[in-house]
Amino acid sequence: MTKLAYYPGCSLHSTAKELDSSFDGTMAKLDVDLAEIPGWQCCGNSAGHSANRLLAAALPANELVKVRDDMKLDAVAVPCAACFNRFQGANHEVGDEAMAADIAQVVGRPYDGGVKVLNLVDVYHDRVGLAALKSKVVKPFQGLQVACYYGCLLTRPPKVTLAEDPEYPVHMDAVVEAIGCTPVDWDSKTACCGAALTLCEPDVVDELVKGIITNARERGAEAIACACPLCQINLDSRQGEIKKTDGAWVDMPILYLSQLVGRALGVSDEQLGLKKAMVDPTKVLA
Amino acid sequence: MRSERRDRVEEDVTQTPSGALAARIRSGSGENPYLCYLCKKCSTGCPVAPFGDVHPAQVMRAVQLGDEAMSVDSRFIWLCTGCETCTTRCPQGIDVASIMDELRMIARHDGRVRKDAPFARSLDINYRSFRRWGRLYELELVVLDLLKRPKAALGYTGLGIKMMARGKIRLLPTMGDRGQMKRMARAAERIEAGRRAEAKVAAAGKAPGAGGPSAGARPKAGGTP
Repeated sequence: MTKLAYYPGCSLHSTAKELDSSFDGTMAKLDVDLAEIPGWQCCGNSAGHSANRLLAAALPANELVKVRDDMKLDAVAVPCAACFNRFQGANHEVGDEAMAADIAQVVGRPYDGGVKVLNLVDVYHDRVGLAALKSKVVKPFQGLQVACYYGCLLTRPPKVTLAEDPEYPVHMDAVVEAIGCTPVDWDSKTACCGAALTLCEPDVVDELVKGIITNARERGAEAIACACPLCQINLDSRQGEIKKTDGAWVDMPILYLSQLVGRALGVSDEQLGLKKAMVDPTKVLA
Repeated sequence: MRSERRDRVEEDVTQTPSGALAARIRSGSGENPYLCYLCKKCSTGCPVAPFGDVHPAQVMRAVQLGDEAMSVDSRFIWLCTGCETCTTRCPQGIDVASIMDELRMIARHDGRVRKDAPFARSLDINYRSFRRWGRLYELELVVLDLLKRPKAALGYTGLGIKMMARGKIRLLPTMGDRGQMKRMARAAERIEAGRRAEAKVAAAGKAPGAGGPSAGARPKAGGTP
């Protein structure tokens, strides 16, 4: 059994509860022991780095130092892509001496990097591994066509995320293939869905969402898999609005990667939280 | 619309170029805007460029010329989603998204955030929310944001009800270590405010075309070419 520190982040306690519960369900099936960071704080999200660079780096650094010094662990699972990006950002920023000194002053103890930060895809692909994942599958998919959507923050910028191929990543595709799905080859894998603007500029966001989903549909996808709570809720919830002006719109289910993996591993539908989606995903999962 | 924009660009060329803005950006973000040679890769990859008053390469040029109206006051800086495509693709290794962040900070610092940029307010509410609770209180974020824009709020009622029914909205905040958050935020705000005030004064004395290392500049982490 491997043990990982776990940072759920704010969304996983509200709008993305099903990411929390489905991730948890898959980890139990895959013999990974998750230890939540005690008293964790918000990572600062986009509001942090567009207001105060130092705080934006110090908040995740504070969590990473807790993982290393208090929990004595070397890796943390961060299923939210936005949080993951901030955590990797902190690991990157402490490479600069002056910044590391400022961060230490804010945090109250030094952090020089070194804690491995794993996003949702990394946990399955790197930590568990494809062979081990495959061996635990009890209900393999029968070739469900899935468009793997990475969005922005899993891979960009590569100097921070350390993603191998930021323009055309393939690790999520390998994970869905391991559970019996057929990943589709499509153009919008790393396109931005505009989730940050979903409350402020809905007209802009609807155009971006339409483009991404239409591309997935044209490439034969029956569902989109994602690894970010902001992407999921944005792609899922804007479809109802798009339908109001586009009568010919065909709904596209938007699932978390952990929901697909959980389904194949035999995690219960209730724990997967399939009923929380706006566009019903159960038809394509039947 | 389009010809109006061109008129503005032509006007701007006649202004005296100044390095003050670029120096401030360099000091705050560690990025040197003069490395940009206007290939426009940032603009072609930008998901929101088609919806903006200007596009990222134009903002970069404006910064080089010290044109605050076309950069600090643009609506574009409040449309940037922070998707990092520009940063990823820039052949000069400029962190363009970080420059957009810096322009937002300058706009706030100088009290010139434009009124037709709802994202500016949304980011402020967001910052105050996680600072207060230790974690982001999503319901508070949405309610405070939409209260100020009742017309827009109407468009979200149906969606809000659906989300409520699916248990996707948590009514009460979950809290982090609030004392620790307050202490960290105060310390970071004090350090940053001091640095920003200094940078503004230092930049004001900059000669035109100042591209050299500025007094308060911090070298970039990681080292880019």
